[in-house]
Amino acid sequence: MLLGQISNGLVIGAMYALVAIGFTLVIGVLDKLNFAHPEVFMFGGVVGFVCAAYTSVWWAFPVAFVVGGLMGLLTEFISFRRFQSEDAKITAALSSLSLGLVLVDITHKVWGSEPVDLGLTSGVFKEGFTIAGVKFLWVQLIILAITFALMLALHLAVSRTSAGRRIRAVAESPANAALLGIDVRRVTQTVFFVSSALAAVAGLLLALRTGVANPEIGLTFGLKAVAIMAIGGMGDLRGAVIAGLLIGVLEALTFQFGLGRLGEMTVWVAMLIVLLWRRGGLFSGMHAGEQRV
Amino acid sequence: MIADQLFFTGINLILAWSVYVVLLAGNLSFAQGAFMAIGCYASGVLTVKLGLPLVPAALAAAVLSAFLAMLIGWPALRVRGIYLIMVTIGVTFCVRVGLENFKFVGGVQGFGGMMGADLTTVMVAVAVIGAALWGLSISPLQRILDAVREDDRVAESLGINTAWVKLAAFAVGAAIAAVGGALYGHFMNFVRPDNFDILVSIYVVLYVILGGVNNMFGPVLGAAIMTLLPEYFRVLAEWRPTIFGLVIVVMLLFRPEGLLSFRVITAKLSQGTRR
Repeated sequence: MLLGQISNGLVIGAMYALVAIGFTLVIGVLDKLNFAHPEVFMFGGVVGFVCAAYTSVWWAFPVAFVVGGLMGLLTEFISFRRFQSEDAKITAALSSLSLGLVLVDITHKVWGSEPVDLGLTSGVFKEGFTIAGVKFLWVQLIILAITFALMLALHLAVSRTSAGRRIRAVAESPANAALLGIDVRRVTQTVFFVSSALAAVAGLLLALRTGVANPEIGLTFGLKAVAIMAIGGMGDLRGAVIAGLLIGVLEALTFQFGLGRLGEMTVWVAMLIVLLWRRGGLFSGMHAGEQRV
Repeated sequence: MIADQLFFTGINLILAWSVYVVLLAGNLSFAQGAFMAIGCYASGVLTVKLGLPLVPAALAAAVLSAFLAMLIGWPALRVRGIYLIMVTIGVTFCVRVGLENFKFVGGVQGFGGMMGADLTTVMVAVAVIGAALWGLSISPLQRILDAVREDDRVAESLGINTAWVKLAAFAVGAAIAAVGGALYGHFMNFVRPDNFDILVSIYVVLYVILGGVNNMFGPVLGAAIMTLLPEYFRVLAEWRPTIFGLVIVVMLLFRPEGLLSFRVITAKLSQGTRR
């Protein structure tokens, strides 16, 4: 039972991490919060629903990736391009927040405000195997495999490729990067595309796990990723992943020990404690500056 | 019917002003819904369970809310503004989940029995708070707040304790929101934790952004438009979040520095016009 809860927590935590990575990428490069991000995450589930209805659910992965990425580009164009100065941080946050509200409302109008059933019938989503009396679902393994593959790919891309080097340069100092001939706007667009695409895939995975696409998760599940990003340290990719997994397990454990809905508070309380205790995030100072995006 | 609409306009106006006061010191708070909930439940406990009259109960709730705001804001306000946004979001969730699990005030089922607020009460509250804000805007304190908002390092070098100013603004904002919450609860007679969702806090901030943030009448305009117009235009009521969101997005785009950038406004002000 306990083991089952922990594995559940890991699966949820992996999805938290995937969304938190998007927040942390944007914070690392632009030092701004993208509040349209949780709603792109929500929309990933809706994409899954549409794909499951018309073709196969497996098509939803590439479609969610591309649709999410395009939404990221749109967010960048509408809510961030004009607001580049230091003072415009709050403006950009509010503008993307309004954009998120619009996206949720349109989703409500088209697909209704109730969770919609994906109608998953394939055995992969229902069946599993049992080890030592604990039941694991195949879909949980798929989710873990996909999230870790994506995170590894992102890590390698940021640390090994030339595009990743450009991203790190812009994160360090946009002005200096521009002087060195780096197209800062292109880098910003890349970051928005990748972060939003990952969020949409995470939303799709959550929909596969629960079997429904819920238009309300943006401001609940999605916003928790903001707290996870803060726990991991803003702009710290590895921190976001570890914090996501940690919080996922912690939430599952609070549920296990009978705290019920109080478990919803776990992540926020953890964030408040971390911000009081060490402002730079849980893992600040544990690795060199180069690890930061 | 019109009395109800005016009542809700008044409540939204009080909440918008509470955001405005926090913004005066350059901070954005998404916790006004939480402070509203604290005010509503605290005053409700005082009137229903202890039998106090509404006015002292609302004032006590405001003091409690301000005290809690100081407790939360003290560590958060010393760091960058972005942290305060996240901390206030966290507070909103914590307060809501906390109330849902607090059996003494009814938990998820809700808490009822409050009564006594009507249009007159809310108008009196609006008048009192409005007069206080007007007094503030012509007092030297306004210049201190302006200095802190525009450039807190310069303000610090002028001998202003910026952390205290920000904290005081946050606490006063919380107190005003608590008064709004108290009146709301005593008008509705029955409240549930869902009434104080994160969306409430978001909308209140957007009222202020819509109306304008450089003087105390901007929030009045924003709250009045967003509360009253949907009552008269069916399309607006149905597509409210979409239209509202698009209006904010477009408005921010066509003021490139953003309405929140006070620097532009003061630059204009220094060319002769007076606030």
